[in-house]
Amino acid sequence: MKNRSWAQLIAPLILLAFPLFVDSDYYRHVVIMALMWVVIGSSWNLLAGFTGQVSFGHAIFFGIGAYSAGLLKMHLGLSPWWGMLLGGPMAMAIGFVIGWICFRLRGPYFALATIAVGEIFHLLFKYFNNFTGGMEGILIIQTFRSKLPYYFLALGLAGACVLTIILVMRSKWGYYFISIREDQDAAESMGISAFRYKSLSLMISSFFTGLAGAFYMNYMAFIDPEVVYSLHYISIMAILVGIIGGVGTIWGPAVGAFIMVLVQETFRSSIFGLAPDWVSEAHALVFGVLVMFVILFMANGVVGDWKKITHLFTGKKQAPSTNGSAA
Amino acid sequence: MKRLLTMTLACAVGLAMLSFLGCSSEQKTEKAEKAEKAVVAAPAGDTVTVGIILPLSGGQAKFGEVEKKSFDMALDEINTAGGINGKKLVFMYEDDTGRPDVGRSAAEKLINKDKVVMLGGGYSSSVTFAVAGVAQQNRLPFLINTGSADKITEQGWEYIFRLNPPASEYPKAVESFLTEVVKPKSAAILFENSNFGTSSSKEFNETCQRLGIEVVLLEGYEHGGVDFKPLLVKVKEKNPDIVYMVSYLMDASLLMKQSKELQIMPKAFIGGGAGFTLPEFIENTGSAGNAVFSATLWYQTLPYPGAKEYYDKFVKLYDGPTEYHGAEAYAAAFVIADTLKRAKSFSAEDIRQALAETDMTTVFGPVKFKAYDTKTNQNDVATYMVQWIDGNLELVWPETHASKKYMYPIDWAAMWGK
Amino acid sequence: MDVFLQTLVSGVLIGGIYALIGIGMTLIMGVMHIINLAHGQLMMVAMYITFVLYQYLGLDPYVSLFIAMPALFLLGAVIQKLFLNPLLKVDSILPENQVLMTVGIGMVLTEIVRIIFGSDYKSVTTSYSGSVMYLGDIAFNTPMVVAFGIALALTAGLFYFLLRTDLGKSVRATAQNKEAARLMGVNAERITVLTFGIGAGLVAAAGTLLLPIFYLFPDIGGHFTLKAFVITILGGLGSTVGAIFGGVVLGIAESFGATYLSMDLKDVVGMVIFLLVLIFLPGGLKRLTKI
Repeated sequence: MKNRSWAQLIAPLILLAFPLFVDSDYYRHVVIMALMWVVIGSSWNLLAGFTGQVSFGHAIFFGIGAYSAGLLKMHLGLSPWWGMLLGGPMAMAIGFVIGWICFRLRGPYFALATIAVGEIFHLLFKYFNNFTGGMEGILIIQTFRSKLPYYFLALGLAGACVLTIILVMRSKWGYYFISIREDQDAAESMGISAFRYKSLSLMISSFFTGLAGAFYMNYMAFIDPEVVYSLHYISIMAILVGIIGGVGTIWGPAVGAFIMVLVQETFRSSIFGLAPDWVSEAHALVFGVLVMFVILFMANGVVGDWKKITHLFTGKKQAPSTNGSAA
Repeated sequence: MKRLLTMTLACAVGLAMLSFLGCSSEQKTEKAEKAEKAVVAAPAGDTVTVGIILPLSGGQAKFGEVEKKSFDMALDEINTAGGINGKKLVFMYEDDTGRPDVGRSAAEKLINKDKVVMLGGGYSSSVTFAVAGVAQQNRLPFLINTGSADKITEQGWEYIFRLNPPASEYPKAVESFLTEVVKPKSAAILFENSNFGTSSSKEFNETCQRLGIEVVLLEGYEHGGVDFKPLLVKVKEKNPDIVYMVSYLMDASLLMKQSKELQIMPKAFIGGGAGFTLPEFIENTGSAGNAVFSATLWYQTLPYPGAKEYYDKFVKLYDGPTEYHGAEAYAAAFVIADTLKRAKSFSAEDIRQALAETDMTTVFGPVKFKAYDTKTNQNDVATYMVQWIDGNLELVWPETHASKKYMYPIDWAAMWGK
Repeated sequence: MDVFLQTLVSGVLIGGIYALIGIGMTLIMGVMHIINLAHGQLMMVAMYITFVLYQYLGLDPYVSLFIAMPALFLLGAVIQKLFLNPLLKVDSILPENQVLMTVGIGMVLTEIVRIIFGSDYKSVTTSYSGSVMYLGDIAFNTPMVVAFGIALALTAGLFYFLLRTDLGKSVRATAQNKEAARLMGVNAERITVLTFGIGAGLVAAAGTLLLPIFYLFPDIGGHFTLKAFVITILGGLGSTVGAIFGGVVLGIAESFGATYLSMDLKDVVGMVIFLLVLIFLPGGLKRLTKI
């Protein structure tokens, strides 16, 4: 117990203090992006890792959140910050409807259905350009020139998201989620309504992803359907963040998000200009190889298989892994 | 239990590394700032860095490459001729991969980490829009040379300048050609569902209404389709006098090839720039691309000083032809150099001032930033029309500048041979 | 009427190409229950092989078929043996690990090709690329008609292989019940390697046949991966004849959607049909035809 509270104290403290000793806007930007991915990855993980419903469509909720903020500005002239209030509930509502449709399906079929719904959203937001602005996109001017407000907002969001997931997973809902993941039929025979708890999991998950979307609109200040409804750059990235960090662990997606953003930025800038130019072209390749490596050798991600990694160095034999639930 | 502790440690190490990098870069930039200040006082052999944002990978890399080569060529000439008042000009390129969010990150990095004195580049409309937002907010001048969505210069942003015309003005020359030569009664407008495609098709639609041309079909399509026949079948059925298409390279080729297959024979096929002027277009389409018109912004035989020289030098250096995108970039490099030479100091405000006062002639024509209609800091550029005649791209309109007489009316049946 | 007929013809012809893409996927999904999200990327690799052979050796794409297909068979087999089969032994929380692995494989393939060839568009323009046959006023693009014929031939071949040969029977047995097949002396692991190889080889055929009328760039795969699983679900998992039907149905639906709704909504039509089939007709068209 002691170590766990250590971890939970130190990580937020370091992140809180980070802007004190780094005042480069660029590095703050990198950490802000990582924090946003912590939210998206952790939300995806609640649904996929803990409840066993692998979604390939988290871009839907991200997009809904972003567009809630953007459209308020575009049509009503309201500050996009209202989107931070509206984005979450909107995404949650859409999440409920999508769950109602897609939870009839199980396993890979659910995954396929979420891809399809994601693509439908993407294309329709492009098509109805009178309402959404289509591919001309929505551009706003950031409220703050300093990165600090965005930094602490992102940190707050990430904190709230992870904390909520910790609390949920400690409650009886958490046990229901895991029982559905392990064996849906058995769970139902025990009187757990799979549909209800899957929907609850999806709604919490979509709520936070929607918030991340609204944050993205406010922070990045430009969205179009290609950006926020991207299958590859949002939905699949959310999955990869979860996989690398560790599916079904509380802290996995958070670690995964930092790894993903750091790998991408370091390689995109050719290891901060130290390496030759062509290295920057390899950023996606390196990430892809990392994903394959993790799946092959650390099926439970960096966090889930942390013991395995440390034992590699200390030379101890690995104890048979207990397929852990919450870390 | 232990793993959590180790994990946290790993996080801490990671963050510490990041912050170390951050600190060291801070120190560096402080030094650079000091150096800059020193330089302003006594200009001596030093460098001036300008950030250039272009798509160097991804679907638009083709155009990004042409522009980068032109920038490099111009840079070489500028530095051989003495640089910026004795200082060496450096272009720092960042790849936006064609995505607005990456473009934004790239701009953040150039502005905050590399401390460039101004920004250039900007290819796709949406990336340019996003980057312009960052530049305006950080109060750093940004000279756009290709991104053409009208909105960009309609925001009243005083730090954003645009060398190329907005998308709505690309078909200006087409307009006079239509009223004087083709005199069409109906038109079909097809466009790629992208920022550039949507905004320029909207504008062309309005132009048609103004000219009393009935628009019988206005339809977008998703980039990357294999089969455009369902769309073209409708064009054939409506039988318009002209077909206007805003498409990038490969879609442009497929549209023309499949039009030939379906034997669609309007009075004229007109491309709205972008994909229709590249040499690959005619390579891919063969006879299907012949006699196709396109709006363009530049042609090597135009009577602008250095235009022909630029074209010849580019062909010699890179062993391949260039077109209006390259000329835009090449001209932009000289505008940047000219601005920096005239600027009182390299502070953003002085550079902005100098940029606003620009009045020079480039290979791309005269450059002067004006406010007109709802636009600000917009260069007013003449537009032209080209046509593929026997496998060569020829300037055909306005006739005063033509490199060859336009081919019209067109006997498609004879040319395609059923 | 011409509009209707031409739309129908285009739909059926593009359906032939779709079917070719789908057959490989249906085999992989049917036997191993893996959604292969690298399917389009495998096709992309085959297209680059064809491109290189054409560009540097002047080899006609139809000849390249005999090189690209075996090459992709090998690539597919290697992927299954080295990257997918080992996952069966790895103990992880999500059964979808193999699916996620294919995402990683797809990314790596795309990026390797990008580093070698750049992100430029490439195309292969043969003498017959634009050749057309006319029946009245209706145009039939010749390379697409040929592709349709080859799709039918390959389906028939595969059908025969699965139904009549011992190896094919082992494949079907593995698809139905892996454990039982193993007990009957089938080397299930080898069968999965073989199946993935055949699947990859079939999608190579699709890529090679598509190249003369299309173009290629490293990111082309994702779009076709989506098509592939739509076709597979439409036709029914593991049904070769279903894949032909699925491909043609998708082709026709998209064409009519584009003609009578809007070209913008072409892909939406495909996705909506896909969703409806998933929910209301699990098992796909196979369930209707009982083939």
